[in-house]
Amino acid sequence: MGSRQITEKSLSMLRSLPRISLGNIRDNPNCRKPAKRGRAQHGGDKHGAGNKGSGQRQNFMRLGYETGNNPFYLRVPQEHYYRGHHLRREYPPLTLHELQRMIDKDRVDVNQPIDIASIVKSGIYNFFPDQKQFGVNLTDEGADLFTAKINIEVQWASELVIAAIEKNGGVITTAYYDPHSLFLLKNPKKFFESGQAIPRRMIPPPDAIEYYTSAKTRGYLADPEEISKERLKLSQKYGYNLPDIQKESNYQMLCERKDPRQIFYGLEPGWVVNLKDECILKPKDQELLKFYNT
Amino acid sequence: MATVWRSQSAFARLFAGKTGQILNNATDLGTKLGPGSQSAILARKYSNYAHSPFVTRVKEQYEYEIVKNPPEWAYVQRLLPFDTIPAVTPKESYPSGWVPPKEEAKSLPFFLSRTRNHEIPIYLHITFRGIRKITKIKRIEGDIWLMNEEIKSYLKEKNNRYVETRVHEVGRFIEAKGDYVNQLVEWAHSKGF
Repeated sequence: MGSRQITEKSLSMLRSLPRISLGNIRDNPNCRKPAKRGRAQHGGDKHGAGNKGSGQRQNFMRLGYETGNNPFYLRVPQEHYYRGHHLRREYPPLTLHELQRMIDKDRVDVNQPIDIASIVKSGIYNFFPDQKQFGVNLTDEGADLFTAKINIEVQWASELVIAAIEKNGGVITTAYYDPHSLFLLKNPKKFFESGQAIPRRMIPPPDAIEYYTSAKTRGYLADPEEISKERLKLSQKYGYNLPDIQKESNYQMLCERKDPRQIFYGLEPGWVVNLKDECILKPKDQELLKFYNT
Repeated sequence: MATVWRSQSAFARLFAGKTGQILNNATDLGTKLGPGSQSAILARKYSNYAHSPFVTRVKEQYEYEIVKNPPEWAYVQRLLPFDTIPAVTPKESYPSGWVPPKEEAKSLPFFLSRTRNHEIPIYLHITFRGIRKITKIKRIEGDIWLMNEEIKSYLKEKNNRYVETRVHEVGRFIEAKGDYVNQLVEWAHSKGF
């Protein structure tokens, strides 16, 4: 091929190629030479390791050791209020104001029971079960402006929040989910695509049992009759007329609760959801049914 | 499920690797080895996994009922994420303070479009360790200079002092020196944006 052909070919290639920029150029081949470790009198010196000590011998001291000084990490007194921090549960907050804004902007459907799955689905709230976060703490900011009538299930709520929701004729439940269940609730689609059977929800740990069995905190393991008594008590404490939810048009929706072993509304443990074929696989075997019902 | 490979937290390490497989609170009840296959395993001890034969005669032990078009499918659909951010249906009142955009705002010589989250694009930028506060109005369409004048006069009236602004015509934004987010959002609501 003559040089003229090469030039023409290059030019025709250039026409089809993108414009040359800093993003798509690179060095000529073999123009960079890797540095060699020098030898002998003028190059073979310390090779970047320095003279004497840890640097030269590569025997670095343990972290925090200050060559005999009283180390910094021992110099300050211990702070016992941090004891057990790696075991404590964390509940990232969601305010009532934010919840009302989600409802106003149709991010959550008021005509369906609201749980952590629908709160995360809104895209406004997020949490990380692997960082010891165990779900929503609904806080009282915006309790005065909150007017929605909802059936909500959160993981932690204060007395004022419970009052704010029940004043509007709503229902609130506090429910515990173990971290595995929270992974499912955070991203149900990903779980369904994995093709696994929906597991059972685990019972709360010993230090959380009291909260989730108490009617005062509207725990999901509390006696329903006790809860209705506490609802009346709270309305008298805060001075509002408790709306009779039995007369509501959406009474069915307000009564909807999950089983203590259930993770998703309407879907039982043991079922496999097939998103592709839009079908559900339900176990028939007695052994399986017994396992998932206990 | 969620993979937590490189987490520093001791708690998270409980889930490392395991979450993609069988959940802790479930059991692997899908399949079970038949009697023939078990004896094949026990007959000889293989020192190497690679040299051991494949386990045969694995059967599905548990029966499943496959329900097509199940009535519970509505519950599944409820859990699936939104394809797009839903449009806001008109309501009688919005107690949270969110205000829907008005139709009459389109006739103004300038326009401020809502973000995809239906919010007004006015932001506060805090720089130099909280010393400099700048309010930025983005997504401006139409006569940006006229809008700048209106904002300036509005802020001067509200605060009884001159407020410096900067107009970026190509970037379609205006920056005001100071924290005026709430006032400017109120102004935008009054204009119907």
